[in-house]
Amino acid sequence: MSSVFVVDRSGQEEIITIEPGETLMQAISNSGMPDMLALCGGVCACATCHVYIDAAPESVMSGMDEDEDVLLGGVLSRQENSRLCCQIRLTEAYDGLRVTIAPEE
Amino acid sequence: MTAQELSERDYFTDPEILVDPYEYFNALRSQGPICRLEKYDCLLITGFEEALEVWKNPIDFSSVNSLASAAFPLPFEPKGSDISEQLDEARDKFVGHDMVVCYDGKHHTKVRSLISRVFTPTRLKANNVFMHDYAQELVQRVVARGSCELVSEVAAPYVTMIIASLLGVPPEDRVKFEEVIAAGQTVGSIEHADSPTDMTSMNFIAQFMAEYLQDRMKNPTGDMLTELTQSSYPDGTKPDLSELVGLSAFLFAAGQDTSAKLLGNAMRYIVDIPGLQQQLRDDRDLIPWMIEEVLRLEGSSKITARLAVRDTKIGDMDIPAGTRVGLAIAAINRDPVKWGEDANEFKLKRPRIREHLAFGRGVHTCAGAPLARAEVIEIINAFFDHTSEIGFNEAVHGKVGSRKYKFEPSFIIRGLDTLQVEFKA
Ligand code: HEM
Ligand code: FES
Repeated sequence: MSSVFVVDRSGQEEIITIEPGETLMQAISNSGMPDMLALCGGVCACATCHVYIDAAPESVMSGMDEDEDVLLGGVLSRQENSRLCCQIRLTEAYDGLRVTIAPEE
Repeated sequence: MTAQELSERDYFTDPEILVDPYEYFNALRSQGPICRLEKYDCLLITGFEEALEVWKNPIDFSSVNSLASAAFPLPFEPKGSDISEQLDEARDKFVGHDMVVCYDGKHHTKVRSLISRVFTPTRLKANNVFMHDYAQELVQRVVARGSCELVSEVAAPYVTMIIASLLGVPPEDRVKFEEVIAAGQTVGSIEHADSPTDMTSMNFIAQFMAEYLQDRMKNPTGDMLTELTQSSYPDGTKPDLSELVGLSAFLFAAGQDTSAKLLGNAMRYIVDIPGLQQQLRDDRDLIPWMIEEVLRLEGSSKITARLAVRDTKIGDMDIPAGTRVGLAIAAINRDPVKWGEDANEFKLKRPRIREHLAFGRGVHTCAGAPLARAEVIEIINAFFDHTSEIGFNEAVHGKVGSRKYKFEPSFIIRGLDTLQVEFKA
């Protein structure tokens, strides 16, 4: 079983088991972490699933498409390592991924 | 009527509750955020936090009854602390069980991944020109006449054409669908207690979708149906045709009544709240804020449902496997614990407004929300472009403060059956 590490806005870290095929947003959301608002349910329309990637396979940063880039363009807290985690589709390769939930806009 | 008497009425069949479901839900709320409907042996949630907990727990709460409703009795006798196997065997006895909104677990994740692939911002944007032109055309036509029946003459054809154009339904077939939908039974009908949700129009649409999809496999175009035929699941396997047919039909149908009714609901606020119409005309950037507050106060979905598949909890409350739970969106979105004492009032730019639950939350969150918002914003702008004032026919609907409306006879859909609107050029 693969797992990822998620740090919430208070700095608290949780270990979350992941299912290949789901998105990182779905995994975090289903774990009940209240900081993962994900208001649009993963259709790349709200940016409330913004995370910083702390440690990850290379492919995570290179996987961003234009829609995500445009939406993140309007986010003040965007950094080099920003991603909208509803756009990250998980595979076994993501085992050990570490992310921090970005501050609320 | 006392709160006690009101709360004892039957939400799923009583035509009087249609007029003001909020009063009924307030009466229920006085019993606590989760209450029991004895007649149906189910729970009904009116509390925001409690509902959120259920929406965000798809492991313990199945969506199998989200169309059948919480009132629909289980087709089996639940046994023990985990009924997932019993449910798997009886799934096909739930109306709508083959629609994505009723799927659970891995099957849902797979099909939902197809939706996120095709319902992208880029694709919606590409349809904006069509949406704009069609909104202008429809609005100019009715404004020239000075009045119209908003629901059947504008709202319904408008939303049908837009989703049809997005999917790639040929223009000559669009009218056929419109007619079948208009003639069909509403979803969650209070007049058909034994089968409140009927799949006849859905099946009609599905037959056509099957033809289109088979055609697109041979003759690909740039439309959404073509993209569905070319899509695969995250594990690389291909969806079979029947899955794509069901999904296309659902995408077509899911936003018909809901989006169309949202326009009528929004008009009631625009016309009846003193000063609001002029405020919005003066500053069009306020229109999206108005829509969000209307979605909260008067969203077009009043209720959905879940089924506890194993013993679980909501807050401190023990929920045994087999419990049916109604999520009363119309009540949840007015919970004073979340929204404050003015929860029943219209307030532009309400703090944290975007957290309302008109589109649900969690894995089944409405995928069409961006489309629904864009549609309604576009057509309201078109009405403002071509009129100086919008009002209602007082001979039909009465005066402000004592309006009379006929509502869709549905326990799911909140919206007007008809709305007679008048325009000043
Ligand atoms: C104002 C208009 C609309 C409202 C109020 C609305 C409401 C909802 C709600 C509350 C749900 C979640 C149900 C649940 O959790 O049990 C939902 C799901 C869904 N809606 Fe909408 N909807 C609207 C428009 C649309 C449109 C225009 C489309 C697409 C064309 C659409 C497509 C869907 C789909 C595909 C789902 C199922 C998602 C899933 O199960 O994963 N909706 N809608
Ligand atoms: S959940 Fe809305 S953009 Fe990711």
